[in-house]
Amino acid sequence: MTAADLWTIMPLLILACGSVVVLLFGAIVPGRYGTAVGVAASLGAALWALQTPPAAATALGVALTPFARFFIVLFALTAATVLLLSHDYAVRHRLGGEEYPATVLFAAFGMGTLAAATNLLILFLGLESLTFAFYILVAYDHRRPASGEAGLKYLLLGAISAAFIAFGIALLYGASGTLDIARAVNGATGGVARAGWGFLLAGLAFKVSLVPAHLWTPDVYQGGPTPVVAFLSTGSKGAAIAFFLLLLPHLADPAPLRGPLWGLALLSMVVGNLAALLQPNLKRMLAYSSIAQMGYVALALLAGGERGYEAAAFYAVAYTVMNLTAFGAVASLEGETVLEGVEELRGLGYSRPFRGGVLALAMFALAGIPPTVGFAGKFAIFFAALKGGEVPLAVIGILTAAVSVYYYLRVVVNLYLRPAEGAAAGGGPTATEGVALSLAALAVVGIGLFPGPLFDLVAAILR
Amino acid sequence: MTDYPILTILILLPLAGCLCLAPVWNCRKAVRPIALGFAAAELALSGWLLVAAPGVPAAPGAAAGYFLWEDAAWIERFGIRYLLGMDGISCLMVALTAFVTVVAMIVSWRGVEERTGFHYFLILLMESGIVGVFLSLDLILFYLFWELMLIPMFFLIGIWGHGRRVYSAVKFFLYTLFGSLLMLLAIVGVYLIHGAESGVYTFALPALARAPIAHAAAPWLFGAFLLAFAIKFPLFPLHTWLPDAHTDAPTAGSVILAALLLKTGAYGLVRFGYPLFPQAAKGFAPLLFALAVIGILYASWVAFAQEDMKRMVAYSSVGHMGFVALGIASWSPVALSGSILQMVNHGITTGALFALVGMLDERAHTRDIAAYGGLWGKVPVYSFFFLLFAMASAGLPGLNNFAGEFLILAGVFRTTPLAVVLAFVGIIPPLVYTVRLVQEVLFQTERRPLVLPDVTLREGTLLAVLAAIDVYLGFHPKPLLDILKVPVALLTGGTP
Repeated sequence: MTAADLWTIMPLLILACGSVVVLLFGAIVPGRYGTAVGVAASLGAALWALQTPPAAATALGVALTPFARFFIVLFALTAATVLLLSHDYAVRHRLGGEEYPATVLFAAFGMGTLAAATNLLILFLGLESLTFAFYILVAYDHRRPASGEAGLKYLLLGAISAAFIAFGIALLYGASGTLDIARAVNGATGGVARAGWGFLLAGLAFKVSLVPAHLWTPDVYQGGPTPVVAFLSTGSKGAAIAFFLLLLPHLADPAPLRGPLWGLALLSMVVGNLAALLQPNLKRMLAYSSIAQMGYVALALLAGGERGYEAAAFYAVAYTVMNLTAFGAVASLEGETVLEGVEELRGLGYSRPFRGGVLALAMFALAGIPPTVGFAGKFAIFFAALKGGEVPLAVIGILTAAVSVYYYLRVVVNLYLRPAEGAAAGGGPTATEGVALSLAALAVVGIGLFPGPLFDLVAAILR
Repeated sequence: MTDYPILTILILLPLAGCLCLAPVWNCRKAVRPIALGFAAAELALSGWLLVAAPGVPAAPGAAAGYFLWEDAAWIERFGIRYLLGMDGISCLMVALTAFVTVVAMIVSWRGVEERTGFHYFLILLMESGIVGVFLSLDLILFYLFWELMLIPMFFLIGIWGHGRRVYSAVKFFLYTLFGSLLMLLAIVGVYLIHGAESGVYTFALPALARAPIAHAAAPWLFGAFLLAFAIKFPLFPLHTWLPDAHTDAPTAGSVILAALLLKTGAYGLVRFGYPLFPQAAKGFAPLLFALAVIGILYASWVAFAQEDMKRMVAYSSVGHMGFVALGIASWSPVALSGSILQMVNHGITTGALFALVGMLDERAHTRDIAAYGGLWGKVPVYSFFFLLFAMASAGLPGLNNFAGEFLILAGVFRTTPLAVVLAFVGIIPPLVYTVRLVQEVLFQTERRPLVLPDVTLREGTLLAVLAAIDVYLGFHPKPLLDILKVPVALLTGGTP
């Protein structure tokens, strides 16, 4: 390891050191500066990643490729948004302590490491670092039994999925004799490699919650603190998509993966959307929605080719923006309580116009209505699917998307079409929430209207 | 014809109105004039274009027939362009949109007392979406506006509607969205197949229509387009969302729905469906004829049985749009001009009828035909207009609907006499239910003691303007037909 290597991985170091600094700061300086330091560290990491030229730190098994820089920026900005959303939520729900922002930063560090990995072991370490952080974050609200229960569920299933992924990586290593991602994926052939891919797919299906490995999702989304769920549903899903995108393009012959991916995509789109239809609970509904959304990503990965991978990478951004907006608005609307049923949103579009509007916008985006980022993302996915020749699955996918509109509309119906009797006009969001929600909502519409630059960017990083 | 990006201005002007409403959101007195001001400005601009349009040479770089043209890169990775164009057809449709929007605003001047700012915001937003639909020539841009106009209508029905408003709003949204999503797949399909066949990957309509795809999938793709447009149209048996949406919508919503949203379906078929798939469209013609004729007969039959005035007008809409579909299906110059003319006529006549029913509902709070009677003696001015527009809707010669229907029937007769014979039968039932409506509401003895003031100055002026247009277009539709001549000839493959 040389000094140059350290400069190369500086964005990751900023995140990791930021995490430690937040902890130390909390011990020495009285007051709540965790959010400020955390946001500063995330933005610093993002800026550093933006301005450094691509470089490899071979000895460490990471490289700051354009791909890595893109995802590091995405994850750092996600972490910053989550920290802003958490700041006042933590007060209202009495989630004290500097451990919280520190863990968020550590999770971002894990995600960034994953995206920068050139080596299968680093890839695994990145994935486990971020999962480890989420074990803590999901169970952070220790006054609510549901949070602990969710944490335990996530831990148990996460451990199993980690074992699957580790075993899959070991088999790929055994089949190819190298840990270098490109060479290992390209060189591993035969039955052992196929078994390795089977384990990898099974483990990753847990991470992105594809059906049939989705069962933890609704419980964890319902139980975890809402800003944590916002982070979990965006950052960790984005990291898992990055995981796929690091491996799949190097595959010499993707044919054997077609069957399993086809099944995962189909089941996720159908089961996710149909189950969401039946959910009266807002967060469980959003959980099934995210299962379905990941089904669309699986469709893009299945379609493959440059268009398919671009669509998946674009959707990682689109989905992050949309879900941050949706869960951010929910977290802010929750106040000191916990939102359960969709009916609790009644009339909030009028009594809390800003947040109600942001939530409605997020719903239209998730439903894929133009001119939002959700439409641009879905368009890219179905474009790639048709180009890749996956016509039946594309038709099924678009029909399930039509079904999904119903449950997204249900939220809007409750917000605007069923005014509550005697609802008092509530206050606005707090300053940090207002900033985070405004930026996220702006991104939903802005990228939706002008997706061109982002499409060009994802095409460039995957080249 | 000018250097200003007039088409973009036409789309952005209502949006600018939306922004201007934001600061005075809760002040009813300020909201209405501002919204009406922007709608009037849009009407003035589009009216000027309508007057100036005939005889203007094609814009530089434009496809044949287009006298205004804007083309800019938008999403280059997918070859999507910001491509707007205005020919005679879209010019007419944009003018209709601007006019009907003003009508809708004046009609709901007093009726909407709650959340007035939001109401006018949505009407302006919808105007922008509908104008966008009529001007876009890039398939993805068209799709964007096509879906964008759903959202305001969903809120209009759901917030200010009557009866089962939430049910109707959701049904309207899902029904129409379902068709459009399949169309989205078909749009991508056209792009990919056309690109593979010709080597030019583009979503731009002129390039796609120049070399229509000859792939075996063409009928499927046309089917997806047809499904989306037939739902909006609405063609039998895809019309079931319409009576609910119409009945439960507030007056402004009904007017816009009937006068404008239905037209987008017909317009889409004329502008995109047929030019993109001329061969496949020919194959579908018998189906389209059959659905149109069934729609005409069935809708009249059902309309006769309605007790709710609004529902009756809604079903009459389905019948009238059946005539429009008939003309499009034959794709002959005369019938197609008749169809487009009929789109305008129906927009004005049915819009006026919905406005009249809305006025009655505002006063007596019921739309039940059985509740009224003897209006002729009590509110003569109102009754005069009611009779006029009901007769126009029934196709009385000398009023506008007759002109359109006559052209359609005359044009279709040359190609498909059988369809005309059946459709001709379909002319009679509207007379029957219209006479029933007029007789029961205007002339029978009073059944309930209702206190009904006659039309106010605002309402009277509005109705007088609509009536004047009705009569003018009934006697003298030639100016509109002149505007349509070139684009229709280009569409049907003749020489202009």
